[in-house]
Amino acid sequence: MDDVATKIIEILRKNMKDPSKTVLLETPLSELEIESLDLAVIVFDIEDTFGIEIPYNANEEVEAFATVGSVVDRVKGIVAETKASGAAA
Amino acid sequence: MNGRRRVVVTGQGVVTPLGTGVDRFWAALKNGECGIRQAQSYSTEDLYITIAGEIPDFDPKERLQSKQLLLADKYSQYAGYAAQEAVAQSKLEMPLNDSDSYRSACIIGSGVGGLTTLEFSYKMLFKENKRATHPLTLLKAIGSSASAHVSIDHGIKGPTFGLVSACATATHSIGLTYRMIREGLVDRGIAGAAEASLNWGATRAWQAMRVLSPDGLFPFSKKRNGTVLAEGAGILMLEEYEQAKARGAPILAELIGYGMTADAADMVNPSIEGASMAMQMALDDAAISPSDVDYINAHGTATTVNDINETRAIKRVFGNAANKLSISSTKSMHGHCLGAGGGIEAVAAVKAMQDNFVPATLGLNDPDPECDLDYTPNVGKEREVNYAMSNSFAFGGLNAVLVFGPAPA
Repeated sequence: MDDVATKIIEILRKNMKDPSKTVLLETPLSELEIESLDLAVIVFDIEDTFGIEIPYNANEEVEAFATVGSVVDRVKGIVAETKASGAAA
Repeated sequence: MNGRRRVVVTGQGVVTPLGTGVDRFWAALKNGECGIRQAQSYSTEDLYITIAGEIPDFDPKERLQSKQLLLADKYSQYAGYAAQEAVAQSKLEMPLNDSDSYRSACIIGSGVGGLTTLEFSYKMLFKENKRATHPLTLLKAIGSSASAHVSIDHGIKGPTFGLVSACATATHSIGLTYRMIREGLVDRGIAGAAEASLNWGATRAWQAMRVLSPDGLFPFSKKRNGTVLAEGAGILMLEEYEQAKARGAPILAELIGYGMTADAADMVNPSIEGASMAMQMALDDAAISPSDVDYINAHGTATTVNDINETRAIKRVFGNAANKLSISSTKSMHGHCLGAGGGIEAVAAVKAMQDNFVPATLGLNDPDPECDLDYTPNVGKEREVNYAMSNSFAFGGLNAVLVFGPAPA
């Protein structure tokens, strides 16, 4: 598992009721007993850790937040975009 | 009504994103105007939520009679104007004489009070490295400032304070004042709430909760994607009926029912139980049956969870009568005025009764299949409204419901 995935799983664990549970890339977030307010806190923590902004709205079903792996992919994508726009500027 | 004291509405005042003053507000609601626009009064730099319901026509120097209020936070100024308008309409002579002044209440709450004053002072301290804040910072910021200013303006010496219950603040304030009059603690009261918390920092805080819509407030719609922050004030002048009648006051409606509950469950996910119990209590207090209610001004915030939950709660309480109700969320026009919302919406409910007109829910071309009641989509309509309910359901699961009936014959 790479650095981004490790950091994200660490953030998830902080917000799980039972942090000892196994968390794999294919684990759905729904299995981690994460509620909507937890998700807002998790997104905030991820933004802070990676210095990015994630366009997430609790009112919409967001595909990118279905599994741990999809969150990792989304974050990697945004990190790459942020770096690219930073380089251009 | 078992000989209990009756409480009537003799005046109303509002400051809203659709305009200042009840006449302007009601005309805009009837026309289906929308007061949600690109934010002007604060920087939207680095924000992805850039729309809000700001007051388009509020120059404090023009609107306010009291000099002291010119030095107050915007939330107190909005309360000051709305109270001034409500008192003027009631034709109550102010200031009150000494014995009346102690028999009068002034309950004006706010979700967060003078938040913008605090943001400004922190900017001065932490960013501009100033050595002190403006000397009035504290008086402007405190959540009891609006009620204190209004009591000074009108010489009210009885129970005076602000109460807090997030987006149910105004409704709780009106309900509490109603009960105080009914139980004989006071004979009249100015009641409602004001909010003016739109600023860069507060928007940041709301953004982080991920419940705001970037493009509009569309209650009960399939496309709804969150709420839109707004500001304003909504205030009622409430009086004990016999005394109001004796002095020839204009009687706009009777406040007949009040229900309040807490979900005791979750800070953000509302329960059907809490909302429906509050509505049921208000109906029981009013001693009317669900089929008597013609119009519900819904809480209708356009978040995914509220609108479905409120629909289910209405169905649970009203049963078959739910299908005969006219419902609307006027938030689709004035935005979510937070603590002040219930006051502004109570005014809308009373106006609906006076005018026999149900205002619309805008942006409702394609309803959520799970929201299947009559929300008066897009265009308001004429309908006899004898009894109206106004719902407020706040963060933390704090619920308050008012029921208004016709002026006593």
